[in-house]
Amino acid sequence: MSVLRVVIVEDEALPAMLLQGYLEDAGHQVVGWATTADEGSELVAQTNPDLVFVDLHLADGLTGVKLAQELRQASRAVVFVTANSRMLPDDYAGALGVISKPYSTHGIQRALEYIVQGLKNPPPRCARPSSFTLSPQLEERWH
Amino acid sequence: MESKEAWKITGDLHVEHGKGDPFAAAVRATRMPMLITDPRRDDNPIIFANDAFLKLTGYTRDEVTGRNCRFLQGPLTDPAAIAAIRQATSAGRDINIDILNYRKDGSMFWNSLYISPVHNEQGELVYFFASQVDITERVNEQQRIEQEKERFEREVQRRTEELEKALAEGRRANAELSSALQAQNLLLNEVDHRVKNNLQMIASLIVMQSRNIPDASIRQSLTSMLERVEALSAVHRRLYKSTDVSRFDLAEFSRELTRDLVNASSRSDISLEFDLDPVEVSPDRAAPIALMINELVTNSLKHAFLEDRPGKIALSVKRIDGHATITIEDDGVGMRDGDGDGASRRAQGDGNGSATAGMEYGKGSFGKSLVEALGRQVRATTRWQAANPGTRVEIRWPLQPKGPAS
Repeated sequence: MSVLRVVIVEDEALPAMLLQGYLEDAGHQVVGWATTADEGSELVAQTNPDLVFVDLHLADGLTGVKLAQELRQASRAVVFVTANSRMLPDDYAGALGVISKPYSTHGIQRALEYIVQGLKNPPPRCARPSSFTLSPQLEERWH
Repeated sequence: MESKEAWKITGDLHVEHGKGDPFAAAVRATRMPMLITDPRRDDNPIIFANDAFLKLTGYTRDEVTGRNCRFLQGPLTDPAAIAAIRQATSAGRDINIDILNYRKDGSMFWNSLYISPVHNEQGELVYFFASQVDITERVNEQQRIEQEKERFEREVQRRTEELEKALAEGRRANAELSSALQAQNLLLNEVDHRVKNNLQMIASLIVMQSRNIPDASIRQSLTSMLERVEALSAVHRRLYKSTDVSRFDLAEFSRELTRDLVNASSRSDISLEFDLDPVEVSPDRAAPIALMINELVTNSLKHAFLEDRPGKIALSVKRIDGHATITIEDDGVGMRDGDGDGASRRAQGDGNGSATAGMEYGKGSFGKSLVEALGRQVRATTRWQAANPGTRVEIRWPLQPKGPAS
C-alpha cells in the first residue's frame, strides 16, 4: 500500500485539482472526483479507494457529514477538507481528521505525509502538522 | 359701666369727634373699616359703622345703619362663605374669612372679614364686632401668580412633550441608521468573502501552473506571486470576518501573516518575536500595508538565513508620537552596504550565496521597488538599516493622515 488510491469529493474544481496535484506529486493515485454526496458514494463503491477526501459543503448542500457517516459504515478512511471545521460533529462522523482550507503547499504535503504514515503503519512517526486536525478518537491511538 | 349705657355714649359722640370714650373715638377714627351689629335686635342690624367702612363701601352712614350686613353680598359671593359666617354668628363664635363683597356702585372687593362676639358681664351676647380689610390686591396678585404658575407648567409640559418627541425621533433615526449600517456591513462582508475566494482561486491556479514548470527560477517567481496573492487573500479573509468593516487591526493581522509565512517556509529553525500595539487603519490601506509586510518577511526568510542558518525575525507594530510604526528585523546576514537606503543584502561570502539572494534588495529589485512604491501610496516613510547582525526595516506613517492617500 505504498501508493494510495484516493477519491476526492469536492464541489469546486480548483481546490479539487489542487488536491489532486499534491496527491500525485506525493506519488498517490486519484481514481476519481465527485461533486455530490450521492456521486461520491457511488464512486467509492465502484473504485474501492484507500482514502476519501470529503468537503463539508458539496454541490447538493451541506451533505459532507452525511456522506462520511455512510462511508464509516463501509469502513472507509475519510479525511475532511474544509474552511469551517467548527461545523463538524463532535465525533468527526468517524473521519480521521480535518485538513483546513485554504491549502498551503507546505501544509498539505506535511498533512499527507502524516496521514499516509498513520494509515500504513500507525501511529505516524512524524509530528502532527498544524494544517491537520486529528479526530478525538484517533487522538488517543495516534499519540 | 353697663354696656347698654356705654353704647349710648358712643352713639352720642357721632357728631362730636374726639370727645367721650377714647376707645370709641379710636374706632371711629381708625383707617381700618369697622362696624358693630346688635344680635339682640331683629335681623342683627348694624348699629355702628366707622368712616373707614363708609369710605370702603361707598355708602352713607344712614344707608347702612339699621341694616343687616348682607347688602354687601352679591351674585359672585361664595355661598359657602356666607353659610360659614351665619353658622359662626348663630353659635356666637368668632370667624375670620375672605369673602367677595360689593360696594354701593356695584364694584367688587375682596374682604378679609373678622367677626367677634362681645359679651356683657352676665355672659350675654350683646354685640358683634366686625373689621374688614380690603385684600383685593393681594387676592388678585395671588390669582395672577397662580395663572402664571399654570401658564408656566403648561409651557414646561409642552416643552417636555416636544423634547420627548424629538428624542423618540432621534432614537428612531438612530435605529434606522444602525440597521442600515449593519446591512452595509453584511454587504461589505459578502464582497470581501467573494474577493477572498477569487484570490484563493488565483492562488490555486498559480500553484497548479508552477507545478509543470521545470525552470527553478521561474517557479521561484511564481511562488513569490503566490505569496503576494495569499497575503491579499488574508486581508480579505480578515475583513469578511470582522464586525466593523471600516477598521482593520494591523497588529493581529501582522502576527497571523508572519506566522503563516514562516510555517509555509518549513523553516522550523526560525523563531518569531512579536511586540504589538493595536493599530487600526482603514481597509483601503490594509492591502498595501499587508503586501509590504509580506515582502519584508519573505525577504528575510529567503535571504537572511542562508544554508539553514537558524535565526529570529522580530515584528513590532507600535504607536509612537502620533505615528504608526511597523518594524521588521532579522538577525541574519544583513545588507551589503551595512547602512542606509538602497543597501543590498550581503551575500554570505563573496560569490558564495546565490546571486539572487545577495541582490534581492539591491537597486532595481522588484521586492524593494514594491515596498517603496506602496510606502509612497500610504504616505509612509520606509527606512532600511543594518541591525548588526541582520537588517531592520521600519515603515512609519502619521496616524491621522491628511491628503488623498488616507
